[in-house]
Amino acid sequence: MQGLPVLRVQRPTSAAEAVALLAAEPAARLIAGGTDLIPNLRRGLERPPLLVDLSAIADLDGMAFGDDGGCTLGAGVTLATLAADARIRARVAPLADAAQAAAGPGHRSAATLGGNLCQDTRCMFYNQGAWWRQANAYCLKRDGDTCHVAPQGGRCHAAFCSDLAPVLLALGSRVTLQSPRGNRTLALQDLYRDDGAAHLTREADELLTAVHIDAPAASQRSACRKARSRGAMDFPLAAVAVSLALVDGRLSRLRVGVAGTNAFALLLQGTDELLGLPVDDALVARVGKLVQQQVTPMRSTVTPANYRRQVAATLAQRLVRELAA
Amino acid sequence: MKHEHVALREPPAPPTRSIGERTPLVDGIDKVSGRARYTADLPAVGALVGRIGRSTVAHGLIRGIDARAARALPGVHAVVTGEDFAAPYGVIPIAQNEWPLARDKVRYRGEPLFAVAAVDAATAEAALAAVVVDIEELPAYFTPESARAGAAVLLHENKPGNIERQVEQDFGDVDAGFAAADLVLEREFDCAEISHGQIELNSTLAQWEPERGMLTVHSVTQVPYYLHLTLAQTLGLDSARIRVVKPFVGGGFGHRVEPLNFEMVAAALARAAGGVVRLELTREEGLITHRARPAQRSRVRIGMKASGEITALEAEVVQRGGAYAGYGLVTILYAGALLHALYRLGAVRYRGFRVYVNLPPCGAMRGHGAVNVRFAVESLIDEMAGRLGLDPFVVRRANLIGPLPHRTLNDLQVNSYGLPQCLDAVEAASGWQLRRGRLPAPPGVRRGMGMACSHYVSGSAKPVHWSGEPHAVIHLKLDFDGGITILTGASDIGQGSNTLLTQVVAEVLLLPMSRIRVVATDSALTPKDNGSYSSRVSFMVGNAALRAAENLRQVLVEAAARRLGVDPGEIEWAGESCGVIGTDRVLDFAQCVQAALVDTGTLMVKGTWSTPPETQGGKFRGAAVGSTAGFSYGAVVAQVAVDEDTGLVTVEQIWAAHDCGRAINPLAVEGQVQGAVWMGMGQALSEQTQHHEGLPLRANLLDYRIPTIAESPPIHVTLVESIDPLGPFGAKEASEGGLHAVPPAIAAAIHDALGLRLAETPFTPDKVLDALHARRREQKLAAARRARQAAAAPGAPGAPAIAEHSED
Repeated sequence: MQGLPVLRVQRPTSAAEAVALLAAEPAARLIAGGTDLIPNLRRGLERPPLLVDLSAIADLDGMAFGDDGGCTLGAGVTLATLAADARIRARVAPLADAAQAAAGPGHRSAATLGGNLCQDTRCMFYNQGAWWRQANAYCLKRDGDTCHVAPQGGRCHAAFCSDLAPVLLALGSRVTLQSPRGNRTLALQDLYRDDGAAHLTREADELLTAVHIDAPAASQRSACRKARSRGAMDFPLAAVAVSLALVDGRLSRLRVGVAGTNAFALLLQGTDELLGLPVDDALVARVGKLVQQQVTPMRSTVTPANYRRQVAATLAQRLVRELAA
Repeated sequence: MKHEHVALREPPAPPTRSIGERTPLVDGIDKVSGRARYTADLPAVGALVGRIGRSTVAHGLIRGIDARAARALPGVHAVVTGEDFAAPYGVIPIAQNEWPLARDKVRYRGEPLFAVAAVDAATAEAALAAVVVDIEELPAYFTPESARAGAAVLLHENKPGNIERQVEQDFGDVDAGFAAADLVLEREFDCAEISHGQIELNSTLAQWEPERGMLTVHSVTQVPYYLHLTLAQTLGLDSARIRVVKPFVGGGFGHRVEPLNFEMVAAALARAAGGVVRLELTREEGLITHRARPAQRSRVRIGMKASGEITALEAEVVQRGGAYAGYGLVTILYAGALLHALYRLGAVRYRGFRVYVNLPPCGAMRGHGAVNVRFAVESLIDEMAGRLGLDPFVVRRANLIGPLPHRTLNDLQVNSYGLPQCLDAVEAASGWQLRRGRLPAPPGVRRGMGMACSHYVSGSAKPVHWSGEPHAVIHLKLDFDGGITILTGASDIGQGSNTLLTQVVAEVLLLPMSRIRVVATDSALTPKDNGSYSSRVSFMVGNAALRAAENLRQVLVEAAARRLGVDPGEIEWAGESCGVIGTDRVLDFAQCVQAALVDTGTLMVKGTWSTPPETQGGKFRGAAVGSTAGFSYGAVVAQVAVDEDTGLVTVEQIWAAHDCGRAINPLAVEGQVQGAVWMGMGQALSEQTQHHEGLPLRANLLDYRIPTIAESPPIHVTLVESIDPLGPFGAKEASEGGLHAVPPAIAAAIHDALGLRLAETPFTPDKVLDALHARRREQKLAAARRARQAAAAPGAPGAPAIAEHSED
């Protein structure tokens, strides 16, 4: 990785000012902790004409906790805070766990909630140096016309590797995007689309300002698990979160979020059909089958895709069993 | 000025002992406080920025490199290509087939093709992009099989079949040995290629003084002297016009035991630009420069008596060497030579093939040459122990070497042998007899324990360059200030050699270490040293330091005797003081130094050491490799937990015993053994290179998965002191021999846990899970077969169910 190229940086002091800068320069990139963007810049993956630095915006790292157990978290809250804050730990422990599982301590002290949810997709043919990508004729995601993961197809299979998104999907979170046109709030799953080269539905002039986590349903239990080669540093081979509730021993809620396997953060579909059923071996097998069907890991990592598929299902099954126990 | 002998005002400090003391590294504070300057930290006002242009083609003929446009860019001071060098290079004198920048041909993707020096990074990048390269592509080979195929284009014209070196060695009657065995087993093992992962990035600062034609190079090397020679050769310079300095180095592990292309490129750029050039490589470039442990297939066959005695051992090793020679022929010879000298073997047959392929060149890495074949041999011994119903420790004890000195079948000499004590130590410390097979585990998890042994050399007894010089030279400077300066060419790369040399000198002189400082690795000041490789420094340079200190003590004793008017034999040396035995006539150290400097002034005393001829190996071709004055020995027990649903292997504890001869600095030795264990664990569990059509897919530390502290288990180290007759104070190597046993010990532990033998490193979760699933499928198929047979033969008794933990 070489040094950073010469960059123009602006440091607005309000979100309104920030989105005005974005509107004026649609190719600008937002930077908060920079843990995702800086390596990409140093590798020459992007050459934005302007960086909009969010570090001077007051209140972007605010946290508000409702009496009902819900909370609103500013996009600028760091992963280190998510992992360490006692109020987060008490209300949304899986979010603290997921934050603690991301990267290393240095990254977590800088990386932010918003940055984690808006991070770029990853692929072993993409996250390489400039010489490397030139030698490999670039790729469909950037500067080239072939996806080396699936050369016959016409789409990018880079994977979305957020540690936090699965938990927030499972909890049913919403995000607020601010633009010069105002605010809009959408379900987290609607922030994403199934395209590794353009996986965010965020408009060029929008800033993700906050994440809203609803109060938990009665008897709701949630947890997350991360498959990786090493106990630190690694992006998830599969990150899985499950949120469920039981009434009289039968499922009244089941939401499963998965990342690391698809081009987007996957909210598992078809779980409603399992509501009303007891958590037994048959149900756990059906959860595993749903995951196996909907995750689409491709040859985008040095770890075989089939392993990522299998382990995603395994983790989801383990979580369902443990939470129902 | 005349000094009268007067009674001492204060009693002098008592003699200080330094050997065997747990001593923090003398340069440790500099490192942890950030004071230490590494090559990239060195100030160089006005230095130009160097950059290397690399081949995007894996194999091809260079038709032309047009640098006119690059040279014409404002701010570009130099562009160099292979044509700017006088000669090729290679660390082994008989295998020099690499140019610092490719000439005529490129042989791997990422090979340096040209280089630029410019006023800043942006200009250098623009210059790189402006160079036009014309290469005619040739077929490229990324596997030994394809490179060895009949019609394959040769990477090097003088190497038919793309075989860099073929080794055939037969010792004893191998066939008779197999015939005499009660059990003969043959297995194949694969080890993925790995890299060193040294944390400091590669960097060279080169300064050319055009007025005098002098070159000064600061670089990250482990072998400043070889670099010096290689700079002279490749640049066509008189070696007297070159000065090489090695600043602090942040890890070597073998990456820097041969002169590397970027070091010569930086020098060539400085000369072409007529100034100073700083060339810093990225992590990606470092991992492309590579020179580490090759991918290796080992086919091993062992004959064993029912007692566990090994009657014969046969190994065929194929190493994927990469595109250039480097240390390759030594690596393939080590793999054969170090089949010997760990156990007493009845007979040994070795076939080795080092193969050229279109990938970055491999070279030496911690445990050089012997790690992958030791994994194979120890794994097979473990399996055979199981077949014979023997405890793995029993099998090792059935093959111990003795009496000493012992001459191996391949003419290596074993002078000290602490393996029996190492076995006892890890067996007891791990609770092997009580705990193995009885480790509790939660559902879905299996636990197991495994063990293995290893050994390594303390320096190569025959020098690479046969010049007739001693193996090691130390100068000690003593001046008016009463301070002793150790001048050494030995490269401290973090292993602690500066500290060790200080301890040795302090011990001989009975002085506190605070009187002693080290000035190291500056060719203008320090005596030549071959470098930090093959674990030679403690043994060889330590011995030279020991002799230098003895010589200095002799000079001081004689001076004290003159001053006190007695025979030297009447002087008792006590470090900070010396005096006439049985009297109160005493000189303190300062007075003694004053006496010694009379008429001569500043003292320079030297010590040298060479390996005795009987340790330099036999007479057959390749016999020099593996020869050493002292072998270290080690034994390891690993305890693992395996998640049966995810395939994740967790190493929970490691017990390692290491026979280092004598622990000159137990604190440093323990650290070295732990480091070796940890690197072995990385190779066993997660480290591997991987290529996409010759492009390295894991050329970064996110995908090149060195274990983090999160995976690092408690490593319990026991030091065994066999007191080697030739080592300094009995010391032997301590940094490498602890590595080899770790991958096979972990493999054996996984087998103990799962009943599965994994024969391919690294044991990543996907491979473990695949192996578990494959066994499940086989068990289902076997059950289905039995059901069909039972249906076909009604009334027949049912076949016994397969035990989950059947011995293979």
